[in-house]
Amino acid sequence: MNRITRILFSLFGVLAAWPAQAQNYDGINDPATGWDHLWNEVLIDITVIGVIFGIAAIYMMIRYRAKSPEDVGSAKPLSSARAWGWALIPAAIFMADDFFLSAKGWTLWNAYRQVPENALEIKATAQMYSWEFDYGNGVLADELLVPVGQPVVLRMTSMDVLHSFFLTEFRVKEDVMPGRITYLWFHPREPLETFVTCVEFCGTGHSVMATAVKVLPVDDYTAWMTEAKAEADAEAVADAAGTES
Amino acid sequence: MGSVRTPFRRLVQGFALAVLLGAATAQAAYYKKPVSDIDENIFRVDENKALGVKMDGAVRLRDETGTSLKLADFRGKPLILVLSYYTCDGSCSLINQELRDLLAEVDGQQLGADFRILTVSFDAHDDPETTGAFAHHVKAATGLGPGWTFATFEDPEDIPRLTDRFGYRFFWSPPDRAFFHPGVFLFFSPEGRLVRVLYAGSVEAGDVDLALLDARQGQFRPSEVLEFAVSLCYSYNFKEGRYTYNIPLFVAVGSLGLGVAAFSASALVFRRRRNREGTR
Amino acid sequence: MSTETTTTTTATSRFNIWEWIFTTDHKRIGILYLIGSIAAFIVAGLMALLIRIEQSSPSTLLVDPSEYNVWLYFHGAAMILAFLIPGLTGFAANFFLPLMIGAKDVAFPRINAFSVWLFYGAILLALLSFVIPDGPDIMWTAYPPYSIITEGNTAFYVFTVHLLGFSSILGAVNFLITVIYMRAPGMGWNQLNLFVWTTVAAFVLQLVFIPVLAAAVTLLLFDKYLGTHFFNPDMGGDVLLYQNLFWFYSHPAVYVIFLPAVGILFDIIASMGKNRIFNYKACVYGGIGGIVLITGEVWVHHLYVSGMPDWIRIGQMVTTLLISVPVGLIVLSMWGTLYKASITYNTAMHFTAACFFLVLLGGLTGIPLAMTAITVHLSETSFVHAHFHFIMAMFSTFALFAGIYYWFPKMTGRMAEGVLGRIGFWANMVGVNLAFWPLFIIGVQGMPRRYPNYERFPQFEPYHDVATIGAFIIAVGMACTLINWIYSAFWGEPAPANPWNSKSLEWTHTANPPGPGNFSEDPVLDENWSPYDYEAK
Repeated sequence: MNRITRILFSLFGVLAAWPAQAQNYDGINDPATGWDHLWNEVLIDITVIGVIFGIAAIYMMIRYRAKSPEDVGSAKPLSSARAWGWALIPAAIFMADDFFLSAKGWTLWNAYRQVPENALEIKATAQMYSWEFDYGNGVLADELLVPVGQPVVLRMTSMDVLHSFFLTEFRVKEDVMPGRITYLWFHPREPLETFVTCVEFCGTGHSVMATAVKVLPVDDYTAWMTEAKAEADAEAVADAAGTES
Repeated sequence: MGSVRTPFRRLVQGFALAVLLGAATAQAAYYKKPVSDIDENIFRVDENKALGVKMDGAVRLRDETGTSLKLADFRGKPLILVLSYYTCDGSCSLINQELRDLLAEVDGQQLGADFRILTVSFDAHDDPETTGAFAHHVKAATGLGPGWTFATFEDPEDIPRLTDRFGYRFFWSPPDRAFFHPGVFLFFSPEGRLVRVLYAGSVEAGDVDLALLDARQGQFRPSEVLEFAVSLCYSYNFKEGRYTYNIPLFVAVGSLGLGVAAFSASALVFRRRRNREGTR
Repeated sequence: MSTETTTTTTATSRFNIWEWIFTTDHKRIGILYLIGSIAAFIVAGLMALLIRIEQSSPSTLLVDPSEYNVWLYFHGAAMILAFLIPGLTGFAANFFLPLMIGAKDVAFPRINAFSVWLFYGAILLALLSFVIPDGPDIMWTAYPPYSIITEGNTAFYVFTVHLLGFSSILGAVNFLITVIYMRAPGMGWNQLNLFVWTTVAAFVLQLVFIPVLAAAVTLLLFDKYLGTHFFNPDMGGDVLLYQNLFWFYSHPAVYVIFLPAVGILFDIIASMGKNRIFNYKACVYGGIGGIVLITGEVWVHHLYVSGMPDWIRIGQMVTTLLISVPVGLIVLSMWGTLYKASITYNTAMHFTAACFFLVLLGGLTGIPLAMTAITVHLSETSFVHAHFHFIMAMFSTFALFAGIYYWFPKMTGRMAEGVLGRIGFWANMVGVNLAFWPLFIIGVQGMPRRYPNYERFPQFEPYHDVATIGAFIIAVGMACTLINWIYSAFWGEPAPANPWNSKSLEWTHTANPPGPGNFSEDPVLDENWSPYDYEAK
């Protein structure tokens, strides 16, 4: 028993000391890549447990079939020491795995929550059943356009009911609520075109509440932004003229 | 409302109020209604737009001694931002005085140690001299320590940039020879994001306390667990610009006892019945 | 022991509907619960088929989303609230718990009768969702503000929850008092069947947590119809609070379903394997007790992406992962009970054996979902959908079906073994895996839940098609099973007194089915008695 305990403790120590792999790109700890890594690790973890228990179950189900209707099981009740051992040792193993996974999960979670300093901040507003993106300089868009290479942080709120911003490509999701501000960030590293979907039930249009997300090369983004800004400024001037007259 | 230092009293009060009154509805009150024909709503900050917005840390200020400061210097602790002007004799100084009086009752958190206050003038005509006089006027005869800064903008062009950012509208009224402006306290998180807006005139010390706790965004010390727990009993009311009791929480906590009470009563009934049958 | 000839009492008197309606006999009440919950199961199952047909195409196929949302609402609410919980704690506990502890009836028979009629009222109210215009379209979670501003009739949901909640609380009080005060003389706490223990745990959870859900939905009702603002942030309400209160009950509700299901399985494994329970005390005090203690502190894992403060998301990640410790002890006892057993395979044991694999699948996929950072991507995708269908829906349904097969002779005096039952089992087993494996796969790739249209994800259509085929195979299996039961209840082969040679009190001391008062003579037990004492002497 003592040896098992010792092995267990050293195993736990090794697991705890396992360095959490940071996924660094341009000095940015990207949760999306971290997610893929952690997911693979957890998948291995649960597959190993599942296969061990699955094989044990199949083996025993076949091995211990009744030979005749009068047969009874031949297992003896556990002695007190063994009963404690069979409770405490497995509990310790499960706990070790739990704390190992907690530590890994926490590390990745921190990456999700620590927004890089240079992130481009955009305000996203959800309503039944559309998204609006406010770039903070007067530019409003119903699609999310961002430049390659710069982390993007979204500050989100809702005009009506609960929604949830889900960007599969970047493994990010956070609910959007009226009266509260939530945030998420992602790091687009190459040009691509994808879309955001709503994943918190919000009514009949829930399944079509999606809009394009375009990661543009920096030049294209700058060109688009210049044009959009000019349009927004012109509109603002027209509005101001309209209210004065 | 008392201070957070007496959380139990507030809990009891909250419970009594929740049970007796339900949600009290009070009309949003403004500290000073400038003119009756002006729509009051233009003096409200639209929280839907402004909440979460970050202040521009690069904006430069000048304090009463003429020293140059940056808005970024005010990060790291919760900040109460008061926009005001220094040559008035009307509402603005009263807003600051009200905040001063409220702070006297807030003893859960210390000005300077736990949070800071920044009063900035949106009047381009203010200078270090008026600033100093005003600061002296507000701080006079109080024991308020450092942590409350009075300042003006170095670059007058920053004034509309900052006020627009938070949907803060004000204007000069020549006939009244005064600025009309919202009487608001803007609460910022340590990283400089707008977290809460409280309206002068309708707030109490407890609201300031709660808003300061909110501004810390869940970062509290273990010794403040009780304060934090008490803060859960309140929720912010956007319409009234202050905190109100979080009644569903009281109802839910109360309902936790329902099943246990039903069980205990039934067990008593059962035992009495069985004893009666046993003696018969 | 097994050679004693007990007369099987079938159809002792003529059928009288009023005797059933006004019955206070726990066995008849149990049967009423079974009929009601199976009825809810059939309707909610048909909804599942309709949902799967709609999802076989990326665009709108059958109906517009507003109707689809009513189906989804009904499927979720009815399966959980009107099938699984009443089936496991209403039917199984009512019929067998008093028999297992040697009681003549429950502590308050008339309150027990009242509970079952509250339950029928709730089922009728739920079914009205299809009849009234604008049925509830709020999912079974009914999150505000949508549930407040929708044109759907949220009130039907609220009153259904009220009736079921009231019924469950009455049931919980009744059964806890029954177990505490009415055990047979000599029956100690460590001699209880595991089904009794798990049911006690489930009722403790119901008693403590249901009032919170009832309070939350009541405030929802006030907000929608009386103009209050409990959950309206503009007026000082808290939009997140409802979700917290809802899951504060509804996560423990998962264990209200899971625990009795596990209890049934243990009793079947012991009876069919003629074996002791492996590490009984660890299972009861560590496993079942541990779950009761921890389950109230893990609800935030349903709100990992709901804007809760970071520290609580991390804190409850740890508590949620720690649930694996008590669940692990229970699983070890399940596995250990197979060790050196002598297993006879019949239909009940087939379903039980399948549960070993369902609990692995459903339980282990819960581990990534317990991790906050992993759930950021997986939440509200069909991965979650598949996870809880394996662990909560299919595992518990299989366990309940195993229990019905196991106790069928006890309830009807007839056997339900037959080819149709086996076909039913295999169709279910194949169908379940076909229906939910594809959802794991597309869930990881980002298929959102509750989507009648997924035109943005055309690549997922083949997976949905396989799942739809699986759902229909399940339907075939369910139909075979139900037909088998109905046929066997009337024309099945008469059962011997103790067909499985079980040592449990309900088999050794009562007739098939038990008459009024259950026991012809009061059972008196000694300290060496155990329902799992099969050791060869």
